[in-house]
Order: sequence, then C-alpha cells, then structure tokens
Amino acid sequence: MTLLSVSNVTTGYGPTIVNRDASLTLGENEIVTILGPNGAGKSTLLRTIAGLVKPRSGQITFAGETVAGQPPDVMAKRGVVLVPEGRRIFADMTVEENLRLGAYTRRDADGINADVRTMEAFFPILAAKRNDKGGSLSGGQQQMLAIARGLMARPKVLLLDEPSLGLSPLLVKEIKAIILDIGERFGASVLLVEQNAGLALSVAARGYLMQNGRIAISGPIAELRDMSLMRELYLGGIKETA
Amino acid sequence: MDILLQQILNGLSIASVITLIAVGVTLIFGLTGIINFAHGEFLMVGSIVTWLAVSNGLPFPVALILGVLAVALMGFVLERAIFRFTLERPTNGFIVSLGLIVVLQHIVILFWNANQKSIPRPLTTVWEVGGVRIASVRVMVILMTIAVVAMTYVMITRSRYGRALRASVEDRDTAALMGIPVRRYITGVFVLGSALAGLGGGLLIALFPITPFTGGTMVMKGFAVALIGGLGNLTGAVAAGLILGIVEGFSAGYGFSEWTDAYSFGLMILVLLFRPHGLFGGTSGPKMA
Repeated sequence: MTLLSVSNVTTGYGPTIVNRDASLTLGENEIVTILGPNGAGKSTLLRTIAGLVKPRSGQITFAGETVAGQPPDVMAKRGVVLVPEGRRIFADMTVEENLRLGAYTRRDADGINADVRTMEAFFPILAAKRNDKGGSLSGGQQQMLAIARGLMARPKVLLLDEPSLGLSPLLVKEIKAIILDIGERFGASVLLVEQNAGLALSVAARGYLMQNGRIAISGPIAELRDMSLMRELYLGGIKETA
Repeated sequence: MDILLQQILNGLSIASVITLIAVGVTLIFGLTGIINFAHGEFLMVGSIVTWLAVSNGLPFPVALILGVLAVALMGFVLERAIFRFTLERPTNGFIVSLGLIVVLQHIVILFWNANQKSIPRPLTTVWEVGGVRIASVRVMVILMTIAVVAMTYVMITRSRYGRALRASVEDRDTAALMGIPVRRYITGVFVLGSALAGLGGGLLIALFPITPFTGGTMVMKGFAVALIGGLGNLTGAVAAGLILGIVEGFSAGYGFSEWTDAYSFGLMILVLLFRPHGLFGGTSGPKMA
C-alpha cells in the first residue's frame, strides 16, 4: 500500500528550477532509494517532502492526505521525518538532549524514556556518550545520533539524506546494517538519498534515478543495477552531463 | 565602608532593572537576530501603566502585574504585526525598532504629557543594620529580579520548552525538522522579553521618577550589559548585570557617581576590544539560509 506519493513536483530556489515534474511512491515498510549525480536535485526533493522547501507545483500525499506545502514541524508531527544532510546535530546540547528533541512531538513521557533506552541499546556509543556535547562526537557517531534522533519521533517515513557522507568504509557497513533494520525494529519506511551507489543498491528494494531534476529511470533494484544507461550516467559517471 | 555597602545595594537595585532589559534583549537576539532597541520604551510603557494604575488607586502589586501584562500584550501585538515580517532580515527589524522608539515615546507624550511621573514608594521601611541604612524597596527590587531571572533560567535549561528554545536558537531549520513550531517560539520569546521589560518598568518607577524618555538611557545600558555578557547568552547577561551593579556601587561609594555611565560603557568597549563575543561567549544570531 502506498504511504507517500509525490506526483509531478516542481521545485526551485529563486529563478532556478531544481526538480521538474518529479514523481515517486513509497510503500509501507519499504526501503526506496533515489540515486543520481551531484546536483541532480535529490536533496531538494527530500527537503520538499519534509516541508523545508515549498513546491512550485505538483502534489504530495501522505497516508491519503494532501500535504504539499505543509511546514516541517507539521510534517514531523504527521510522521514524516528528515535526517538532514550533514547530520545537523545540536552541537551545544548533550547526546541525550538531542535524542529527546527528536521526540518533541510526543507527549508520552514513559514511552520517550523507553525509546531513549532503546536507542542507547541499538547504538551503544550513544549510551557511552550520553552526557557529552553533540559537537564533540566524531562524524560517524554524529550520524548514528542523527538517525536515532530521527527515530525518536516514531516516524512512519524516515527520509535519509546522504547518511554515508564522509564516513569510513567500515562505518558505511554499519550504517547499512542499521538502515536494513529500521523497518523491522521501528516500523518505518525509508526513502534514502545516496551518492554511495553501492550502499543504496544493497539496501533498497526499488530505486529512482534522477538526472537534471527529473526522474530518468525507476524500477526494482535488480533491474537498475543492470541498466547500462544507469552505469553510464551514474555509476561510471563517464558521460555525466549534469 | 557603611556608605560603600549602601552604594553597592543601590547599584544592584538599578542594575536589577537593567538586567531585566538585558535578558529580554539577549533572548530576542539569540532566537531572531533582531536587536530590539525599542526595548527601553517597552520598559517605559511598563512604568507608565504602573503609574496610571497606582494613580487610580490600585495597590502597587496589582499595578505591577498590570504593567507586566500590558507590555507582554504589546510585545505580542508588535511581533505579530511587525517583527515577524523582518525575521528573514534581522537588520530591518533593528531599524523598525528604532522607529518604534519615537512612536511609543510620542504616543505616551500625546496622552500623558512629557512631565516627570512618580508614585509613592510602595515600601517605606528602612532597616538600620550596623550603621548601614537598607531601604526595603531596593531589597524588594533585587529579590524580585533574582526570583524572575532564576525562574527564566530554570525554564530555559530544564524544561521541554527551554530545550526546544535552545535548539531553535542553535539551528532553526533542524529544530523545525524535530517538529518544533519555531515561529510560535519566536512569538513566545518576544512576549517573555516584553513581560520582563514591563516588570523592569514597574520596579523602576518604585525606585525613581521616570519620564517618557527614560527608556533611552536604560536600553543603552541594558544593551551594554547584554554585549558584555555575550549577546544571546542568558547567563552572561545576568553576570554582567551583577558586575555593572557592583562597579556602579563602588564608583558612587568612592565619590565618583557622576562617572557611573562611563564605567558601564567603558567596560563594554574594553570587553569588546579583547573578547569580541563577550565575557561568556555570545551567539552570532540565527544562521540565515
């Protein structure tokens, strides 16, 4: 069943058009990826779904309701949560405060406390660093915290923007295991934007390939992996025109 | 020594009022990047409302509460009607606040003339402790300021709302991604800052007579205190207010009372020369996308 659907969305900043007629769907408990070269408009599309960017035109529906143009705090409350590119940890606040901020939309104190413990069990480094400032964490630790903070909202859709950016291959493996676990443990669907195609192709069931702000190709991962066009456009990057 | 203690008490009581302004200025700047220079006029309006209420026979505590509520309401209306349109360009908000100074002063003059206004001291007891004369009204001003600032501090450092406020100060967009309604927090901070200025105004007129132009000098000192502590830093504003009170007390105690203004501004210049972000480190205001 379709949980989130984006149809013919056009976005831009000032005179620049970033996305043109982009459409995609995300089902329940599904992991879907958006692939594409740098500057293709992947992040902007995620930010539009999360409400940080208002679409110029097009429709976004979530759980059957029209949500295009809703502000980010309303989207978070509805259950669509973005883990932003560059992690954006609150550097002056402790790890635990960061986690609790993720649960801002919830009022069930017991549930929030239980979820803090769940996150600390799932990401043991966060338990060890509970009272440290977010800014003192390494890049990989900050990424764990950013994902955990996103999950604290108990989202139905988790939008992950470049979670592997700047991480060592070992940490990328860890992130991969975490993404694969999110659906099962936390019941959230994942829409993943990645430049690391290896990671994206190994966790997602379906994918969209974006080029120059348009969705160029979509399909099951196995098909995408084999497509020569995709290899040219993206994986090899030889004839990259973006 | 006796005179000195007395002067320090005097210095602290006036510094209390200035700290109340500084806290408002610093909180509003931290979240919005707007330096509201009309904050002194907010204080003056608090004095006027308190004066009006007392003149109409209301007891001082009731008048003080009315002053706080009136200025809080004024802050709410001005934020909704004006300042929220300057959030993307805080410098415009600053310029708007300069215009508001003139508007607020002249509305007050239009209705209640430009003469000095005073109320009878709400507390007249003077204690004599070992040769030091302690005016209870000054003690009241200091204690009320301590209580209110402490409550504000606890709210900001401990509560869920305070946590969300600090997150919004640090990174507005990411705070919104957490589901925090940042715009509502901005309104809330304007209302809180205004209420503190209203309280400062009510307490000021309990100490001294005021005029419609009192706000100007008060906001200059409040702003100096906020800068010394580090703009956007609540702890810094409170500590700098305390320092200012003691310094002004000493200068008056040693017979240099005419120099008190020079101390606060001299201190501000020195601090900014050697520690541009203030003694306790300020924020640079919100990051603009």
